[in-house]
Amino acid sequence: MTNQNDNKKHHRDIFIVWALLTVIGVLVGLYATPWLMPKSASHTMSMGILTMVIFTVAAAPVAALVYAVCLYALTIWRHRGEGVPADGPAIRGNGPATVLWLVGSTVLTLFLLIWGLGLLGSDQSAGAKASIEAANGGSAEITVDVTAQQWLWSFSYPGTHVKSLDLYLPVNKDVEFNVTSKDVVHGFWIVQMGIKVNANPGVITTTSVTPDKIGTYTIRCTEICGLDHAFMMTKVHVVSEADFQKWLASQPTRI
Amino acid sequence: MTTTLEHFTPVGAVPAGGGLHRRLNFFTALISGGLFAFIAWALSHHFLNSDGSGFSDQVTVLASIGWVLGFELGIGALTPIGRWIIGKDQVHDDELYLAGKNMGVRRHWKYCTDHKVVGVQYIVVTAILLGAGGILAMGIRTNLMTPGLHFVNQQVYNSFLSVHGMVMILALIVAVAGPWANFVVPIMVGARDMAFPRLNALSLWTLVAAIPLLLGSLAIGGLDMGWVTQAPISEQTGVGFDLFAMSIVTFTISTTVAGINTICTVMTMRTKGMNLERLPIFVWASVVAAALGLYAFPFFLVVMSLNLADRMVGTSFFVASQGGTGWLQENLFWLMGHPEVYVILIPAVGALMEITTVFARKPLFSYRTALGSMVSLAGLSALVWAHHMFTTGWAPSLGGPFMVTTEMISIPTGLMFLVILGTLWRGNIWMRLPMYWVFGFLFNFIIGGVTGIYLSDIPVDNQMHGTMFVVAHFHYVFVGSVLFGAIGALCFWYPKVTGRFLDERLGKLSFWLVFVGVQVTFLSMFVSGLRGMSRRYSSYEMIFEHTNLVSTMGAYTIMAGMLVLLGAVITSWTGGEPSGPNPWKSKTLEWLVPTPVPLENFEVLPVITSDPYTYGEAQ
Repeated sequence: MTNQNDNKKHHRDIFIVWALLTVIGVLVGLYATPWLMPKSASHTMSMGILTMVIFTVAAAPVAALVYAVCLYALTIWRHRGEGVPADGPAIRGNGPATVLWLVGSTVLTLFLLIWGLGLLGSDQSAGAKASIEAANGGSAEITVDVTAQQWLWSFSYPGTHVKSLDLYLPVNKDVEFNVTSKDVVHGFWIVQMGIKVNANPGVITTTSVTPDKIGTYTIRCTEICGLDHAFMMTKVHVVSEADFQKWLASQPTRI
Repeated sequence: MTTTLEHFTPVGAVPAGGGLHRRLNFFTALISGGLFAFIAWALSHHFLNSDGSGFSDQVTVLASIGWVLGFELGIGALTPIGRWIIGKDQVHDDELYLAGKNMGVRRHWKYCTDHKVVGVQYIVVTAILLGAGGILAMGIRTNLMTPGLHFVNQQVYNSFLSVHGMVMILALIVAVAGPWANFVVPIMVGARDMAFPRLNALSLWTLVAAIPLLLGSLAIGGLDMGWVTQAPISEQTGVGFDLFAMSIVTFTISTTVAGINTICTVMTMRTKGMNLERLPIFVWASVVAAALGLYAFPFFLVVMSLNLADRMVGTSFFVASQGGTGWLQENLFWLMGHPEVYVILIPAVGALMEITTVFARKPLFSYRTALGSMVSLAGLSALVWAHHMFTTGWAPSLGGPFMVTTEMISIPTGLMFLVILGTLWRGNIWMRLPMYWVFGFLFNFIIGGVTGIYLSDIPVDNQMHGTMFVVAHFHYVFVGSVLFGAIGALCFWYPKVTGRFLDERLGKLSFWLVFVGVQVTFLSMFVSGLRGMSRRYSSYEMIFEHTNLVSTMGAYTIMAGMLVLLGAVITSWTGGEPSGPNPWKSKTLEWLVPTPVPLENFEVLPVITSDPYTYGEAQ
């Protein structure tokens, strides 16, 4: 009898601690995560940040459960006094608890998977979509050829004479990047737009994005590429369509 | 209070056998290795490169092969085979000498077939690897304390980075499986030694031979490729890479030999009544990890060998301009690289489960769930490697399937938590030193695991791949979880090895320093990554200044904790409080034999009638 009551009390107390910790975790997910990440400059990035928030919120009850049981074990179930404690109850498993745990973690995983695969399939996500489009001749409004080399980026705009070391993009236009490298592997990453693809020598990889905010952003290299990896960065200027055309026209012709 | 443990002093005479082995030890191995390396270098240099014709790679590789062969000869690894070939096979006295009977401390410097000696040797090797990797980590963090390369230049920094990564990976692969699969697993299953005692010594000394190659590559320097040795930069980097790759080739031989030995021991050497369902869970963890290693490490050997072939004999496996592809290198590397994470993790979790049952005084919660989670983790881990390659441009259409397999991993991982939490449930938690590391593990592994799920999601990975966020994630797994498991196992089995407790006061101090240090270092590293700092940066802009400074402070705290632990291990070895044979009142076999464990472990082999988790049950 006492055992039953004990169990009920444990369940109730752990539930309270769990609920408190879950609330904290959810708040961290909702507020800390987006606050710590760069301000989004594309729909892709906004969805990435949203995913981070959702995953943190979904993980909060799991982490809270582990921490609640740990806290409870460390305080209530802790053996006080000297010497070896007496044996605990001989619990060799609990079918319902195991099934519940398995079902719970499977449901959570399925939710994360469906969310992730849905996002991957949606029109804004980079990578797979862009490559498939490229194979079909591309549907982007602007194409930019990105060439990486130790340790700088250069951009050219097919159909124009323009080559540049800074990337200029018009706002709200679908841009496709064809990325390659002259030497070793580099990683092409527009930090505030949530897209990344490696620049491999001898291969063209593609990714795409639609910048949705005028401003200046950062491109970084994300693969170790030699001495000046840390300094291999440049700027992205997202400007209005008129400014973009003006910039294109103002570029000098090079031989 | 100082007490001496008289029974640790050998009594009786050293066996008369041994032959050539009587003259061989670690120092003759060093001399012989150096000599053979020099001969190999001199010959190959003379015939290949004396006119500066660009054969430095070949010369370096041949010299390192000379080193390894010479080292094995000098330690005596090949002596028994040599004697068999010339018809003077080892006799009983020779084998007793090889097992180090009555030899005292001296046997630790020799090619010793006693599995307990090999276990202790692995502890020392692990400590050396962790120390070397730790010094490099401190170099990295010191350089990143402020922006602008005030400590080392980019070239030195990149070498630190590459060697730090690889040394630490090797250290963690052997950190639990090396010492404890050797020291306790044979006793746990009721065997007198490993199935192949000479191979056991061979795996240890091959590992020892690999270490100078890896650290030597640092001395040559100019390693720009990171631990992942991504091509083509690994094809172009300096001759240091040849030593680096040869150390991995040597290392894979060591782990393959060790893994086969562990599996054979458990499958064939169990005592009467020790059926597979009565094996302690740590034994299963060792077997699963060893089997997974046998799958994973051949890829390691292949990727390094192909890389060396490209560099030495003009093949072009990874050279795009000659028809190869760097994606081949990345696939081969991660075919090893992801299972390897579980080769590292599973023994640590197994050891922590063992500790939890003892200190909660309860049976393991759902033995079959524990075993099932390990086996399914091992199986799944072979199917997830391309999640390291989501942003490389290789096979974008496979992104979805690899995302599915990767996120499925969280289900068996969750079951591991269930087993440990279920074991704690309503137990009488005895908060001795090993238990601290169990709770530390639970705290950190949740963070490491959850952030791994973020990264498995491709839209998030497109942002986070290659950033400090990834670095923080896997350090929560490797430092926060695996290293905690390894230290917990050390604190747990230390009394069995030495006959003394690890100093509880210093041990707890080191726990708090390491635990707080891990949170400070890697939580702020998450922030660096979220804000957009790429990994492997030797310098950074001012926006990352504060988080990096905090990470460096945390890293020094971890270092302080590890030094306190080292101090505790050294001082307690001879000066600790005597523990007796079974201080934790555990029921696994290794605690039921005397301390120090005699040669061949058991006077009479025990007969097993139940599993070792009978806490609270009628005997």
